[in-house]
Amino acid sequence: MASADKPINTDVPEKDVFALHFLQSLSNLRRQNTFNSPEKTNDRVKKIKKAAYVSMARAAGGTNRLWSRALLRRAAKENNKIVRFPRRKKRVTCLRRRSNRRDPVEEEEAERLRNLVPGGGGMGTSKLMEETAHYIKCLSMQVKVMQCLVDGLAPK
Amino acid sequence: MFIRTWPHDGREELKRVESYLGNNNDELQSFRHYETIDGCISRTSSFQIEQVKNNEENRVIALQHKRKTEGKTEKIENKKKKKIKTEDETESSMKGKSNMSNSETSSEIQKRDYIHVRARRGEATDRHSLAERARREKLSKKMKCLQDIVPGCNKVTGKAGMLDEIINYVQSLQQQVEFLSMKLSVLNPELEYHINELSTKQFQACFTDLPEAVSKQLMMVDASSFPLQHQESLDYSVINSIQTTTLGSKDQTSSGWEIHSQSLYNNLRTDSVSSFFSLE
Repeated sequence: MASADKPINTDVPEKDVFALHFLQSLSNLRRQNTFNSPEKTNDRVKKIKKAAYVSMARAAGGTNRLWSRALLRRAAKENNKIVRFPRRKKRVTCLRRRSNRRDPVEEEEAERLRNLVPGGGGMGTSKLMEETAHYIKCLSMQVKVMQCLVDGLAPK
Repeated sequence: MFIRTWPHDGREELKRVESYLGNNNDELQSFRHYETIDGCISRTSSFQIEQVKNNEENRVIALQHKRKTEGKTEKIENKKKKKIKTEDETESSMKGKSNMSNSETSSEIQKRDYIHVRARRGEATDRHSLAERARREKLSKKMKCLQDIVPGCNKVTGKAGMLDEIINYVQSLQQQVEFLSMKLSVLNPELEYHINELSTKQFQACFTDLPEAVSKQLMMVDASSFPLQHQESLDYSVINSIQTTTLGSKDQTSSGWEIHSQSLYNNLRTDSVSSFFSLE
């Protein structure tokens, strides 16, 4: 037909990879002294949530996916660390600057999607769809892992 | 002069064209016959020079029929202007279009392999509209992918509704993550106990550079065979012995791992929670 693309790849690693990364990050959180105090539950929740996202990004996308790079960069900026990614061969940003890439009818919804998916602002609409698909798969896998953990640890 | 046509899956368009070409001109019969052999219709196709004029006229007729259905007036006017152009020009514009779409789409496609953008009958073939069409088709392909992933997208049709569904789904997933992390923070003390146990095993599995299947096996075996409270540290000898026995076996399928992970967490719950409460 029109353009001979290779099929869109939205493979996501198995559940154990996610579990491994998440448990590692949780154990790292344990090491912090301020973590186990019974007060400051909100901080703890936020840290766990951030750990969940970061471990998901590392497990699933690594540095190959735009959303995972954006997530890791954002998390590193919060910790005042500088993260350097290897330069990709394909220039992602230059594709966006071409004119007439946006269709105004679907653009408002795409804007909302951009706000939700990390790194959405720097992508064209078609790339956004790919990233959203992969992101949704990874999110659902992470939710499954966390659900398993909670079920396993819930008192009888 | 004979411009080679490329195969195309536009069978339904062929039928549509045949309905337009009601007048049974003899030359046109042969033209249609030729087209069915090749299985493609292209605006730039022609097999004999004498027939060019007839083709153009009939395309105009088809065009006027199409105008009511499609309603892209400015593009049709462009097409009428192009009617006078020679076949070479349209061919070169198509090649140029395919070059542009080549650079647009991906860099993995090799240079010698052009992407042929099919110009369907009755639609304009200028650069911008072809680019627009290619872009829209790519987008719709990706939306179909998303439709498979997001549950409940089949009922809604149209881009806007589907995008709404997708946005709601992503929001709900993120809320679930937040909710589960709240739950995990509440379960903090037991979590700490078990995290230490589990993570030492996994760290040591990583450090000895076991392949992933083996580390899976390791986790499973450890949870079932060794009761968790006795496990202070893992011997490297234990790991090595398990490694030698399980190196050959790669029968851990992904579905098998799902079941085993569930059983792992169940073991966690039965063995260690009971032990946790007994220790108190």
